[in-house]
Amino acid sequence: MTDHADTLLAYVRAHHPRSLAGVEEARRLDRARFDGYAELLLGWATRVLGDQAIPRTVDAFVRFSSDVNLAQGRYEADGAYEHKSYRECYEAVYADRETMDDYLWGVYLTNFLWVHHLELSAFFETRFVARLPERARLIELAPGHGGWGLVALHRRPGTQLEAFDISPSSIAIARSLAGAAGLADRARYEERDALAVEAAPGDAVICNFLVEHLEEPARLFEVIHRLLAPGGRAFVSGALTAAQVDHICELRRESELVLLAEEPGLRALETLSVHPQRTLPRARFLPRSMAMILARREHA
Amino acid sequence: MPTFDELTAVFRDVFDDDELVVTRETTAADVEGWDSLTHVTLMLRVEKRFGLRFKSAQVASLKSVGELADLIDQLR
Repeated sequence: MTDHADTLLAYVRAHHPRSLAGVEEARRLDRARFDGYAELLLGWATRVLGDQAIPRTVDAFVRFSSDVNLAQGRYEADGAYEHKSYRECYEAVYADRETMDDYLWGVYLTNFLWVHHLELSAFFETRFVARLPERARLIELAPGHGGWGLVALHRRPGTQLEAFDISPSSIAIARSLAGAAGLADRARYEERDALAVEAAPGDAVICNFLVEHLEEPARLFEVIHRLLAPGGRAFVSGALTAAQVDHICELRRESELVLLAEEPGLRALETLSVHPQRTLPRARFLPRSMAMILARREHA
Repeated sequence: MPTFDELTAVFRDVFDDDELVVTRETTAADVEGWDSLTHVTLMLRVEKRFGLRFKSAQVASLKSVGELADLIDQLR
């Protein structure tokens, strides 16, 4: 079960030697999970992109990771994220389809090639996905490449997914991966601003790494509260002092994310904050990714 | 000071090695510790030393010290 993992590593070794140490570090952390994700996610990508799947996704991953590190370096120097509004991010990233496609494919592999996101993926699967009720109805806000929701569908036969994203690139890539995964009959994607979603409440809500892209993060949690059925669970993650070209909401402490969730009536049942093993020299900010498993307060 | 001499000084500082010798053909495979994070550190120090600002696509695509030196001369 290591064909895709071995092929990926060989490609990184040959074409992106500077990135090899980080990728090997993730594989050492949890080889079984790393190799499992390689087979699953690269398997789906291969059905969409053909022979070029590994070069396409790995090249995009290396560009994305480089962009993230550069943004973090500028954040260290400036003390603030570069962009402050959705409009600035739209012009810098979202407006160009090719840029967005590359961005999304770049993010796709971070779920297991970044060692701290491999930990996060394990938390998602063991503490959230594994506990979904039978035949759960999932709602996903801002699925991006679609990988998180599709992993949930793959692991839990009988679940249904309704997903909403503002980006046409996201909808296209997520739909193509759903088809490749044999999950198209259980996954529905709609192009819509996550903050404007109107849907019947779901048994579970998934929302990964959207909050830091928003001008009004509090509204997101109001929407999640409204979309979560009584007794349901939400998996929500966000970035803390972690720069990226389109991060505009600078959250500095884990408590800020928890308080945002609590404000409309959610309660954190479990949280996990993860960070890369290495940072820029003499860094004042530790870039973290934090995930929360939430419930409506009256049903916690 | 010629670009390459200044660049060598930056490399020696980032890799903390006063004896480090780089050539136009030097790549990450030739310098221990030149990984993706160190590469960005290097780029940020080069920006500061030469008074430049790289585009993110330029940073990721650079493979050799020669390519970096050429880019610096282009941007100066």
